[in-house]
Amino acid sequence: MTKLFGTNGIRGVVNEDMNCELALRIGKAWGTYLKKTVTRPKVAIGTDARLSNHMLKNAISAGLLSTGCDVSDVGLVPTPALQYAVKEKDFDSGVVITASHNPPQFNGIKGVASDGTEFSKDVEEDIEKIYFEQNYSLAEWKSVGKLSTWDDAVDFYINGILSNVDVDLIKKQQYHIVLDCGNGAGCVATPILLEKLGCKITELYCKLDGTFPGHNSEPVPENLGDLIQKVTEVGADLGAAQDGDADRAIFIDENGTYIWGDKTLALAAKYITKEKKGGTTITPVTTSSCFDDVVAENDAEVIHTMVGSPFVARTMIEKNAVFGGEENGGFIFPEMQYCRDSAMAIAKIMEIMARENKALSELIEEIPIYEVHKTKMPCPNDKKEIVMKELAEQTKDDSDVTKVDETDGVKLYVENGWVLMRPSGTEPIFRVYSESKSKDRSEELALKYKRLAEEIINNQ
Amino acid sequence: MKLDISKHIFRAYDIRGLYEKDISPEIFYKIGLAAGNYVKNVIHGKQIAVGNDIRQSSIPLVHSFIAGVSATGIDIIYTGNTAFGQTLFKGWELKQDLIAFVTASHLPPEWNGIKFYYGDGVGLPEKELMKIRDFTLNDDFDAVGWEKVGGVEVVDPKTSYKNFFKSKFKFNKKLKVAIDCGGGSTTLSAPDVFDAVGLDTVHVFCEPDPSFSKRPSEPKPENLTVLVDAVKKNNCDFGVAFDGDGDRSVIVDNTGKVLSADETGIILGKYGLAEKKGTIIVNVECSKAVKEQLEPLGFKVKQIPVGHTFLTLEAKLEKSPLGIESSGHLILPEYFLFDDALVVPLKIAEILDNNEKTLGELAAEIPTYPTKKEVIDCDDQIKFDVVERLKVELTKEFENINSMDGVRVDLKTGWVLIRSSNTSPIIRLTTEADSEKILGQLTTQFMDKTEEIIEKIKGESK
Repeated sequence: MTKLFGTNGIRGVVNEDMNCELALRIGKAWGTYLKKTVTRPKVAIGTDARLSNHMLKNAISAGLLSTGCDVSDVGLVPTPALQYAVKEKDFDSGVVITASHNPPQFNGIKGVASDGTEFSKDVEEDIEKIYFEQNYSLAEWKSVGKLSTWDDAVDFYINGILSNVDVDLIKKQQYHIVLDCGNGAGCVATPILLEKLGCKITELYCKLDGTFPGHNSEPVPENLGDLIQKVTEVGADLGAAQDGDADRAIFIDENGTYIWGDKTLALAAKYITKEKKGGTTITPVTTSSCFDDVVAENDAEVIHTMVGSPFVARTMIEKNAVFGGEENGGFIFPEMQYCRDSAMAIAKIMEIMARENKALSELIEEIPIYEVHKTKMPCPNDKKEIVMKELAEQTKDDSDVTKVDETDGVKLYVENGWVLMRPSGTEPIFRVYSESKSKDRSEELALKYKRLAEEIINNQ
Repeated sequence: MKLDISKHIFRAYDIRGLYEKDISPEIFYKIGLAAGNYVKNVIHGKQIAVGNDIRQSSIPLVHSFIAGVSATGIDIIYTGNTAFGQTLFKGWELKQDLIAFVTASHLPPEWNGIKFYYGDGVGLPEKELMKIRDFTLNDDFDAVGWEKVGGVEVVDPKTSYKNFFKSKFKFNKKLKVAIDCGGGSTTLSAPDVFDAVGLDTVHVFCEPDPSFSKRPSEPKPENLTVLVDAVKKNNCDFGVAFDGDGDRSVIVDNTGKVLSADETGIILGKYGLAEKKGTIIVNVECSKAVKEQLEPLGFKVKQIPVGHTFLTLEAKLEKSPLGIESSGHLILPEYFLFDDALVVPLKIAEILDNNEKTLGELAAEIPTYPTKKEVIDCDDQIKFDVVERLKVELTKEFENINSMDGVRVDLKTGWVLIRSSNTSPIIRLTTEADSEKILGQLTTQFMDKTEEIIEKIKGESK
């Protein structure tokens, strides 16, 4: 069976592998799946700003309706706004038409469970199974679904954020922020939110445009040159960039310095665990130790999960965590909802700045610095599993290794650092990540264990 | 992926089938691709207006159709759930290249379908519709790249539609009209428009009822008893019933008599279009009373084949003031060409506003002739040959022959029309005459002639 769902839903190039026939049938499979537990499922559907959003929304809606699901069209919204609506309102599921940060020729379909979290792998597999077997449960003419529109999803979402941050505190600071929505879905919500937070806003690429004329929508340094420049040019307190569907946020400090996602993630974790006087935080095995260090200062706990925000979100629910997230700009605030939420992250970072009465660069300076080294090596797909097993086996008695974590790949904790060897989900390679306070040590670790892995691969 | 699509869903004037049996969202997606391709490559246009009636299955069908159209790069104005006239009006007003309306008109609720018009209000002729059929059946279309995908704009036509009629109709009298929407799509238009133009209304089945549980959506006299009672009980000036989507209306006079399309057409021509000379378009099934009543007033009457697409097309070519289809499609091109049923009762109200007589009195002045409709069984393989042979033989015998649609023989005392059915193994024979006696004679004479030819052809093919 071919796989449809990847790490972040189904993705493809529009009218090639991501076409209406696929969307229509996914809608049918989705509806069939929902009807196994709910007689008359209610599904919210929304899109990002891409040019094919209406086309795919119409196709997948037709599929859902034909199985007897009632569909509520919430329009063009940030992904977290749709997730918030699904969680708070009476919906059994949500559909987002988005390809997140991918280039404009892509589009995709992302599933949301009734609690607002992204679909689990199990659910995606169930839907795939129905899709490939074409085993649809179709409604007869008199029981096909009804379609309605709901225009208030964005307001509802903004009000949700406002009720979860200290609005007065932020307002008093009258922060000047440069906002870069990358012409994506954030345009419809974030400027309004910031205005309500009393900010002075300098907008950059805040007009919806599915061709993404400003820059590619992945918020990496090479795409944010204009934002960095603008922050220093206007003397803003901070800059913030959202990805295409506005679930992730990246920050620029008042000096125009790009802040990597793990730093801001650690910053949020630090002040949230300080405020809560402890608690549990959740982040994937790939996250920098700076996160663990700051959380430890507040006697809080860190649990590492597999890579992927759904794993983080689900573990957060399970462990009743106070905060969680990923190093790519994905912040999850449980008081708001169990999914990545960039607008909430922007509000929260400003709240921390206001409460501590410090500039963003000052706050980031307090976060410990780790040197990261990344490399990769070829490994046939069919050997990946056995290689991982052997890696764990051969390193468990290694005197340098203090702990082996097999949550996702093999992560070895050693003196002054760690190294993680993880098979890629899509390519025949192993990725090697290492981290230490010293650059040399980091490189040394990566090389040492890469060599070990290569030996194992060659012996298999 | 190739789908198993029956070519029989493509009829002469529209596409129709049973939901999730003959037609489905997947098939409508293909039809959307085909329609988009038709606009792009045949008529070289850019935009389609799309709307749908209130049938429940219209929603998945219209959205998959829209997905298909936008995949070809054609932009869409979506009007939502509307009466036929509202979507047609918006597409016409916005000068769209094509207008598509998802409906199965008067058919039972388990049916659905789609019909197409050009932006000027002319229905797609069969030949053009068959191009869309062929594109659909042969997967003859292309999806465009991501940057060219068609956009969808949702536009509610209700207010501009209502305002159009408000600007066209003003009444001095307080006229009272009973409206029977049969729970169909005109529930979304007629009550609102009639109120807006200042008519007093009595509502019969004016709440949306997509399963047509109150009365069948075909507005035949036997389905209109509740309306007739309402007209009489409330002393209405007249009553009107609409079919499921609102392209046909039936008028009931103040005495409770259900008028035929011919009678309604004659009243419209005689009292509503006095200033407008010109050619009135009627189909070959219309009563001879139309010609007798309207030609002396200075109109010309032109016969056309059966089918409302011919009606709109011919009316455009002839710049006609009025078109009458015996099945109930009536058009008044002074407003627009398409067969929106709402204009008919509004025009009737205008006539009553300007006239001292009641509608019953006006109707009583129109002579009616006895008519008869007969059906003759005939195999599909030979039915068309039979009618062709009749054309040849009857042309030898009679002077006044019209063979544009079947064969019609006009005599001094009556006429006969013989047509083969497009869908069933039958030949239909319609007769109208000055008296019952002549009607009987004519009917027998031509039935015998038809059966004789059927036997002849059967014999030859053995």
